This record gives sequence, structure tokens and C-alpha cells, in this order.
Amino acid sequence: MEKIKSLFYQDSLLEKLHEIQSTYGYIPETEIDNLSEKYQLSRANVYGVISFYSMFYTEPTGKYIIRICDSISCHLNESDSVLKAVKSYLDLKSHQTTEDKKFTLEVVECLGHCGEGPVMMVNNKIFTKINKNRALEILNDCM
Amino acid sequence: MIQEKLYLKGDKLLDISNYEFKSIKNALRIGREKTIQKVKDSALKGRGGAGFPTGIKWEMAADIEGKEKFVVCNADEGEPGTFKDRYLLEERPLKVLEGIMLAAYAVGADKAYIYIRGEYSKAIEVFSEIIEAAREKNILDDNLFNSNFKLELKLVRGAGAYVCGDETSLINSIEGKRGRSRIKPPYPIEKGLFNQPTVVNNVESLCCTAEVLNPESDDFSELGIEGSRGTKLLCLSGDLNNPGLYEVEFGQITLAEIIYDLGGGINGNKDLRFVIPGGISTAVIKADDLDFPYSYQAFEKRGSSLGSGAVIAVSKKHDLLDVMLNVSRFYMDETCGTCFPCREGNRQINKILKAFKEEDRKIDTELIADIGNTIRLAARCGLGQSSLNFITSVIKNYGKELKFGGKIYA
Repeated sequence: MEKIKSLFYQDSLLEKLHEIQSTYGYIPETEIDNLSEKYQLSRANVYGVISFYSMFYTEPTGKYIIRICDSISCHLNESDSVLKAVKSYLDLKSHQTTEDKKFTLEVVECLGHCGEGPVMMVNNKIFTKINKNRALEILNDCM
Repeated sequence: MIQEKLYLKGDKLLDISNYEFKSIKNALRIGREKTIQKVKDSALKGRGGAGFPTGIKWEMAADIEGKEKFVVCNADEGEPGTFKDRYLLEERPLKVLEGIMLAAYAVGADKAYIYIRGEYSKAIEVFSEIIEAAREKNILDDNLFNSNFKLELKLVRGAGAYVCGDETSLINSIEGKRGRSRIKPPYPIEKGLFNQPTVVNNVESLCCTAEVLNPESDDFSELGIEGSRGTKLLCLSGDLNNPGLYEVEFGQITLAEIIYDLGGGINGNKDLRFVIPGGISTAVIKADDLDFPYSYQAFEKRGSSLGSGAVIAVSKKHDLLDVMLNVSRFYMDETCGTCFPCREGNRQINKILKAFKEEDRKIDTELIADIGNTIRLAARCGLGQSSLNFITSVIKNYGKELKFGGKIYA
């Protein structure tokens, strides 16, 4: 019983990973070592958890993480033309980062703004009803 | 003109000082058993997609002996086309909080989690503030409204995994594991979080329970028709003039009215081809079969489901194969990989569709149907089981229309 209680009061590993990522921008190996000790898990186990979730990174990302939704509702509203424009503008494929470490591009599934698609997220900020010109404008504003 | 029925949807509910918590106060007054009875009598079905009766889930969980019980609010809304839970979390978080309190009180849990998907940064921010405010006001942690009921609530952020919407995957995720599903039984109400009895409820379901217990909206349970009680939040998207969030009463509006009145009809100059009634894990409803009242049973009768309430209109403007490939890619990317048929099956479906598009190969509809059946029978979780509903229904209804290079296949 005490053990279950302490599990509740202990930070969920997921929350801990979020914290680390918001400090460093990614999850460095030294922190994986620390977590492995703290949670009594093998390093492989911690790494396995990290790699399961698409929002966690073990390498530094760009300053701006650009997420563009291409799930069905956005897709029906021509998200692919936005994607095409952004990919060629940044010269990136999905999951890649620009050389100057400014942008990381992620083509993602549903961001939950399906009535206002196409949708793009820059770090934590949502932009709705975008088109290719608006998308490039948003990128330029980050420059 | 079609009227919405507003219970769940409404003005912003963000100020805890002005929120009266009438439902939980009512529940504390009438006691656990009557609270559960009221939810059972309301015939409320889960709004996350599976449609399991909420009252029965609560009753079973209340009856189970456990050292510690947990309530988990599933706010890992990820079904493409769905945004109702985000709305509730961002605009009506106090109702969500009250729903969590009700569930915890009813089943005898004093610890609860809310698991919000990591992409919902605004919802996370808003709900964290609500939890903070509730603590400050002694509404959480302490003896709730002078009763001897206590509740501690923690927020855990997801990190980008559709499958965590499945309750067993979500439980693994809260435990800090990979979000893979568990074999059922045991069901979470017997052995869930940290192996203790756990009730997992969807955000909208919990808000509905707050309506059921609210003395001022006691007509909520009488709304609708037998088998489909209350109201439903609809997320309209796709090729519509007025996409957005609407609340309707079950049985009192037809799917045609939802599309052409609420949704404002199809945009552009093309006609509707079909409606995806409940997110991409549901079978399509053809454009000539929309004239039936919106209810759980009407969709079941048509071999489909109202799912999460994500109503997506697809017009004739789009290439069917392109739409199918989009859905297929989703499942190929989002399968958690635990069950072989779901992991490999969805990959093979994507291969077959791609070959059909790129290499002008004949599409083997029987093979697709076989793979679909195998996944449905062998996948552990509901998300896997329903992963081919959309594609197989498109092939069934439109197989003869699928054209490539001017030729007709299938």
C-alpha cells in the first residue's frame, strides 16, 4: 500500500522527461544515466521509453520545431501543398533539422484543430487555416 | 433551422470562484450508491469511441475491493478529426474537474490522474492552472465541501503517441512505460494503474456525468432516444462550409441535417461522396444514406459507429486512393507495434495501396479484407481492431470506382 502511494507521489517518468527536455531542448545521455539510477531501470529501458514517444528527442533540435498536420481533415484542406512549400523552403524532410539549428520539421498526425485546417504548430503556438504563403510568412517571422 | 442543445458547450468556465460545483455537492448529499444509480439510469455511454455504459463501469469498479483505487481522465484525444475534448479542457475545465471528482467519489478513489496529450499545450496550461486554483481553494486534497471525501489529482502530459488513447496503453504510459496495450482481461477496473482497480473515463463522458448529477439540468438524461441518451459533441470537419464544434441531442437530428444545416453543406462545386461518421476508425456512410436520426444504434445498423463524434465530410473533389493512402499511413505510423497483425498488416495495406497507385498493379481486395479481419480478431486494443474499418468500407462501397490510368480495378 505504501509502495503504491509512493508511486503516485513520485514524478511520472514521462513528466520527468518533459522537464529535462524543456531544460536542455532534448534528453542528453547523462540525464538518461541519472534517470536509470533514480527509477531503478536499465539505461536501455529508459531509452526505450524515450524512443516510443515522438515528442522526445535524444539529439538537439532546431530552435523552432515546426509541426505540420497531414491527417485526414487537414489533408482534405490541402495540407500537402503547405508541406511541399515548407519542405522546399527549408530544404528539409520530416524529422530533419536545418544546418544552422534554427528549424526542425515534423510532419505530424492530428493536432486537434480539424475544423480550422490546415494547421501548423511552431513550438507551442498553433496557427490555423494556413496556406502555403501564410506558412512561409510564419517561418520568416521566426528568422 | 436546426437548433443545438447546449449543455456541454457554452460560455467559458474558467473562474473557480464563480463555479458552484453543484453536481459534486449533489452527489455528496445523495451518497455513492445513488450517484452511481443516477449515472446508470441516465444510460450514459462512453463518449471516447467504444461506447461502454459509464454507470456500469462505475458500479463494477465500486464493487471491487482494492487497497487503492484510481480514476484516470483520458484526455489523450488523438483520433483524426476530433477536437471536442480539447474544447472542453480549454474552455470548460471546471466541468471536467467536477466530472473527475464525481467518478472518484462514486467508485471510492482518492487519487486521480488526468492524462493530456503533449500536443495540447494550451489545454495543459489551462488545466494546470485549474488544479492549482482548486488546491488553493481547498477544493482538492482536503475534505471536499465539508465531506470526508478527499481527492488528489495529478496531471501527466503525453508525448506524441496515438495509441495512448487506448486505456491500457495510457495506464502503461502513466506508469512511465512505452505506451503499449495490455492483454485483457484483467480489465483496468480489476487491475489497472500500479495493478490497482482503475476507472478510465473520457473527458466528454465525465462532463456528461456532471450534467446528469446537476440538479439544474436533470432533464439531460431524458434527452435523446432509447439506447442513445443525452447530447453529443460533434466535431465537423472536411469539405464543409461551416466546420466546427456543435452539440446535438441524440435522435432529434439526422446526419443529413448535420451535414447540410449545421455544417452549412459542402464547399466548392463538388457533391458529397461520403461521410466518415466518427473518426478514421469508423466505416463510411454513403452520401445517399444520410437521412436517419443520429444515434448509436443507427450507425451500428449500418456497420459503422459514431466513434468519437468526428464527422468528416468528403466530397467528390478528392481522389479516393489518395484519401485511403492518407488513412493507411496514419495507422502504419501510429501502431504501437505490439500485435503483429496490426503492425505488419497496416504496413502491407500501405504497400498494396502504393503499388496500386505507383505501379499500376491490380488491387487485391480479398487480401485487404483478410488482413482487416485478422487485425480485428487478433489486435489487443480497440484502436488496432478498428484500424481497417475505413479502408475496407471504402473498397466495399467504391471498389468499382477506384480508377487508375483510366482503368477500373477491383
